[in-house]
Amino acid sequence: MRFLATILLALVAVAPAMAQRSIGNGQVSGSFESTSIGYLDDKKLGAAPEDHFGSNNYLKVDYANGRFSAGLQANAFLPVLQGYDDLADGKKFYLASKYIQWSDKNFEVLVGDIFDQYGNGLIYRSFEDRNLGFNNSVEGVRAAYNFGRFVQLKGMYGRPRLYTEYADSWVRGADLVVSLADICGIQEKVMLSVEGSYVNRFQKLTLGDDRDKLIFEAAGLDKPNLDMYSGRLNFGWNGLSLRGEYVHKGKDLNLDATDGLAKTGSAIYAEAGYSYGGFSVVATYRQLSNMATRASLYDEGVANAINYLPALTRQYTYMLANLNPYQVYAMGEMGGQADVCYSLRSKESRYRYWNFHANFSTFYNSFSKNLMWRDINFDVERQWGKKFKTIFLFSRQEWGKSLGFQDLYGSNIFVGDVTYKFDRKKSLRVELQYLLADRHEGKYDYEGDWVAVLAEFSLAPHWSFFVQDMYNIDKTKTHYYSGGFSYTYSRTRVQLSYGRNRAGYICSGGVCRYSPAYTGVNLVLTSSF
Amino acid sequence: MKKLLSLLCLLMGATTLFAQQLPDVKVEDIEGKMVSVRDLVKGKPMIISYWSIACKPCIQELNAINDALEDWRKEADFTVVAVSTDDARLKAPAKNMATSRGWEFTCLFDDKQVLRRAMNVTQTPQAFVVDAEGNIIHSHTGYTPGSEEELFDKILSLKKKK
Repeated sequence: MRFLATILLALVAVAPAMAQRSIGNGQVSGSFESTSIGYLDDKKLGAAPEDHFGSNNYLKVDYANGRFSAGLQANAFLPVLQGYDDLADGKKFYLASKYIQWSDKNFEVLVGDIFDQYGNGLIYRSFEDRNLGFNNSVEGVRAAYNFGRFVQLKGMYGRPRLYTEYADSWVRGADLVVSLADICGIQEKVMLSVEGSYVNRFQKLTLGDDRDKLIFEAAGLDKPNLDMYSGRLNFGWNGLSLRGEYVHKGKDLNLDATDGLAKTGSAIYAEAGYSYGGFSVVATYRQLSNMATRASLYDEGVANAINYLPALTRQYTYMLANLNPYQVYAMGEMGGQADVCYSLRSKESRYRYWNFHANFSTFYNSFSKNLMWRDINFDVERQWGKKFKTIFLFSRQEWGKSLGFQDLYGSNIFVGDVTYKFDRKKSLRVELQYLLADRHEGKYDYEGDWVAVLAEFSLAPHWSFFVQDMYNIDKTKTHYYSGGFSYTYSRTRVQLSYGRNRAGYICSGGVCRYSPAYTGVNLVLTSSF
Repeated sequence: MKKLLSLLCLLMGATTLFAQQLPDVKVEDIEGKMVSVRDLVKGKPMIISYWSIACKPCIQELNAINDALEDWRKEADFTVVAVSTDDARLKAPAKNMATSRGWEFTCLFDDKQVLRRAMNVTQTPQAFVVDAEGNIIHSHTGYTPGSEEELFDKILSLKKKK
């Protein structure tokens, strides 16, 4: 804690001096993020971890001078927070990424750790998500060339990161975008492009022990190369947009395969949207078959992936609506979502309007055709004037048997959210939430009913205080309470909170990390410069 | 730990010596076309606000800026750029929301985290004030109702410097 306090003091000391001044052409920028938790014993949850402390810290620094740029990121886990994969052995300080880059008008080359995505990421996406302990950047070379506005071509080659180390595999790929609208000279009115990608993963099948070889042989996996292809079409005209992608994946071994056999994979993604005035609607459909693609066949873990398969469902900001998020079933799922927005604005005052929003998502198991997830929800936001705003949300969520529940589990979630602004700086926001679980023959589903309340008082632009409690009424009768405050000065923000946290999945996109329950003190510090 | 702390202090101190300009990267606009961020600098100050669908204070901030925009523009001429950090999962709903809300902003969609990494945005909401030459002169992390006024005050301070 002394370490963090010193950093905090250092940041506060230098923050006022951060007005930018120009000397020469070069510039340094960066960011620092630190999350530390002191774990406490809790009779309701059990004993805290032995060392009672975890701290994840990230320092990123970039230098840019004209067309040249370079940077690095150092991570320090002192030790790692509970629930993060592959770092159970404790403390670790390492170089998480580094790069040097040259960018010309139409040409770009990067040597170092690559963060990129082809299309929707179905065959390749390398990115970082610190909440999940996820960084699958590819260490290697990336080059891109633009033939004017008409054609963009990029390629990369390298080895993917696997947590604090690198996978024993090599990934190479290329992505091509051809703008037909620009070629035909109709780009002012129409957006039309055809795109394609290719990704290859190479990993020797003889790296492991005899057991690994037997698994590969039995699965029918006899080639070290995995090839994936993607074709895409994008169209936009006068408020209408259409996007589609088809993916073919070569034979690969999937950890979730019940028969243990290597199989080819495929994916279809289709999206249609239309907007007019304050109305807009978008519908997406996606079908996945054997699409989970590991960076290394010899390892496991949520970060062991080279592609990106997010759950196409609404992501909530309310506690109870987010209690049990849907997780992608990459072995075989099909479904999609529809999202509709409408805004009705007063002609007399910009401070008075209605925002209506409805969303529907559903996914089925491709093999059994059973329902895995369904969510029908809507919310109505009303800005009554400069001082007062209300939001009401309703969500009907259903989980199918194939997601680990014994039976279909359903719940209705009601949320009321009220904000009152006392004056230019002071405001109060209150949330009231209720989760009503379905009943069957007198028995409640899963954990039964929940109730939650949150109150947040803010003093703009620096201070914010909050208290919240989430209580399970039926099964566990447990309170998950917390309270804290945050202070922001320019680009530096400090948040200190104390409370009991429920075990559950923290999800971002298609990746979910299981976070164990804990009671503790949480200090979060972020700053950029 | 001491090494990390020393490095941090050194770097934080060093930044006072350097100007910060908008990075030279391309991001997708609401029509799906790639636009250069530096091309958005057109001789006017600019507010850049990062947001995402799952970030409630981000949307609060953008709504608040949009509500006040008509009054603010009576005092200063500037533009607003809203950068969505939503990835492939939520990019379509983010475009849907940006279209319907009537935000009088230039909306960009940074689903590949190119601009976000280049501007070292670790948490949303984060807002920047950029002068007419493309220099970042102010930044603020987080949003509490009323803190949008601080952004406008910075825009006004640029007007006074002229």
